[in-house]
Amino acid sequence: MPELNILLKKIIRTGAGRNRHVMAMAGLTIAILLILAAVQIQANYHDLLYNKNNQDSIANFLVVNKTITDQNLGTTGLTDHEINDLRKQDFVESVGLLTPSHFKASIQSASDRFPFYTDIAFESVPQEFIDIASKDWKWDEHALFVPIIAPNMFLDFYNFQFSFSQGLPQLTQQVVKMIVFKINVYGPNGMVTLNGRVVGFSDRISSLLVPEEFMRWGNQFFARNQDRKPSRIIIKTKDPGNPQLSSYLKEKNLSADADKTRFSRYRKIVDMVVNISGVTGIILLLFALLVFTLFIQLTVASSKEDIQLLIILGISPSQLHRFLMKRFLPGILGIILFSFVLLGFLQFFVHQILSARGIHISVLPGKTTVFTAILIAVTIGWVTSRSIKKYIHFPLTKV
Amino acid sequence: MPIILDHLAPIPLKERLLQGRSDIWNTHIRFDDGERIKVMAPSGKGKTTFVHILYHMRFDYEGTVWVGNKQSDNISRDELSQLRQKKVSIIFQDLRLFPQLSARENIELKRVMQEPFHTSSRIDEMAEQLGIQRILSQKAGLCSYGEQQRIAIIRSLMQPFSWLIMDEPFSHLDTTNIQKAVSLIEEECSRRNAGFILTDLDDDTHFPYSRKLNL
Repeated sequence: MPELNILLKKIIRTGAGRNRHVMAMAGLTIAILLILAAVQIQANYHDLLYNKNNQDSIANFLVVNKTITDQNLGTTGLTDHEINDLRKQDFVESVGLLTPSHFKASIQSASDRFPFYTDIAFESVPQEFIDIASKDWKWDEHALFVPIIAPNMFLDFYNFQFSFSQGLPQLTQQVVKMIVFKINVYGPNGMVTLNGRVVGFSDRISSLLVPEEFMRWGNQFFARNQDRKPSRIIIKTKDPGNPQLSSYLKEKNLSADADKTRFSRYRKIVDMVVNISGVTGIILLLFALLVFTLFIQLTVASSKEDIQLLIILGISPSQLHRFLMKRFLPGILGIILFSFVLLGFLQFFVHQILSARGIHISVLPGKTTVFTAILIAVTIGWVTSRSIKKYIHFPLTKV
Repeated sequence: MPIILDHLAPIPLKERLLQGRSDIWNTHIRFDDGERIKVMAPSGKGKTTFVHILYHMRFDYEGTVWVGNKQSDNISRDELSQLRQKKVSIIFQDLRLFPQLSARENIELKRVMQEPFHTSSRIDEMAEQLGIQRILSQKAGLCSYGEQQRIAIIRSLMQPFSWLIMDEPFSHLDTTNIQKAVSLIEEECSRRNAGFILTDLDDDTHFPYSRKLNL
C-alpha cells in the first residue's frame, strides 16, 4: 500500500539522530568491506595454492632424495615400497618420479661466434609437476629441437659470475630462449647430435629438465646401465612446514631441498592479514549493528506518541514492521552491494597486477565471497527485523 | 457482531460507580447488530472509561466484555488491529488527530489503512457536506476545535465497521453542523447496516435511538 507508506513516512520521523545513522552506516560499510576482503583474500590464496594455471604457483613442491651417508654411497635408489609409503601420507598430495638420464650427453654452441661446450645430465618429471606452460614442451624423434627447462639459478650463475669471469655478455631469459644449441648424446654405437633450446625457466626443480618422451628414448637407446631405480622424487604438499612431513623425512633418512620456507612465510603473512582483517571486520560489524539497533530504538522512541496513536487507530504490527523494514533495509542492502562492488573493483585491479607477474587469480570475487555477502545481508536483516519487532511492542493500554 | 458486557466495573471508579444505579455497570447487557445506543451520564461518571473499555484501550476492569465472539482481555495484537480496521470505528472525545498531517491526510490514513471502503473523492464529498472542504489541505493542528471534530467524524467513516463508537462527538459543533454530521453518520451507518454507541452528557433527539441508557 504505497499511500499508507507515504503517510507513515510523514508521521514516523526517521530523521532523528541523522549523524548517528551516518556513522552507523559508515561503520557498517567498513566492517562489511573488511569481512568480504578477508574472505576474498582467503579465496585468492586458495586459488594460488590449487590453481594449475599459475606459472609460479606458491603451492609447495619438494624434491626428495635419500640423505647420502658413508653407508649408502652408491645405493641411493628409492624402492617401490618407500615411494608407495610416501604416497600414502596425509601431507602428500601427489608424488612424481624424477627420471635421470643414464646416458652421457654434452651441449655445445651451434655457431663459432659464441663458443661453449659442456658435459651435461638431464632429468625428466611428469607434466603435472612442471610450472611452465609452453607449447614447445613436447618431443618426438622427428621434432626440430629438444625443449629444455632450465633452473633460474643457472642463468643467475651465468649472468652474475660466469659472464664476468669469462668476459661474456649478460643474457636475458628472452635471449637465452632464442639460442639454439647442439645436444650430443653418446651411446654404445656412437654419438647422435640434436638441436636443443631453452623454453622456460623454473625455480621448482634445480635440474635441466627435458620431456619424458625424450628421456625414455635416450635411456632406451643410449643408457650405460640398466639400473633404473629412481633416486629422486618430487612431492606436492599443501604445507612444507608441516612438522609431520619433516619428522617423516628424518625418520626415513630422506632429505628435501631446503629453501621452501619462504612459501610458508608467505602463507603466515597471508593468514595474519586474513585473520586481522576478518576479526576487525567482525568486531566492527558487531559495533555497527549495536549502533544501528540503537538508531532504530531512537527512531521508534522519538515517534513513540505517533506510533501509539497509529496502533490505537488500528495499524497492525505487521504493517508497522513492514514500513520500518522498508525504511531501514534498502540502506543496508545498498551498503552491502556497494561494498561488494568495491571489492569487485579491487579484485579486478589485483588480478591485473598479478597477471602481469604470471600469477593468476580470478577476475571477479568468488562464490564464497558472494555467499558471505548474502549471509551478512540475512544476519543484518534478521537483527533489524528483531529490533523493530521489539521496539514497536508498546503496551496496549494507552489512554 | 453483538457486544456483551457482563458485570463490568472499572477498578479505579468501582467504589463510586457502584453506589448509584446504572444501566451498564455491574449488570449484564447486550447490544445487538445495528442498534443505535445512546449512553448518558454527567461528567465524571466514566463515559470515556466506558468507551475506552469497549475499544480495548484499557483492561483495568472487573467483569467481562465480548465484542463479537472474542473476549476483550484475550485478544491478540493482530486480532485487535483487524477489529479496529474492519469492525469497530471510533470518534474520540479528545479527537486524536495527527497535528503534523493535513486534514485530508488524517482522513486518508484511515481510508488506506485497510482495503479502502470509499474512494478518495468521497472525502471531498463528506468535507463538502460538513463544510470543511477549504481546510482539507491545512495542518490539523492549525484547525479550530470544531473543524478538528468534523475531521475526526469523517475519519471514523472512512473504514468498514459494524459498530461506531462516539464519545461526545458534537461537543464543539453548533446546531446546524450537528444536523449535517448526524445525517452523514446516519447515512454511513445505514450503508453498512452498522450500529453505534454514542455517549453524551444530556438527552437529545439527534438520532432515532433504539435504546437510551444511563451510565
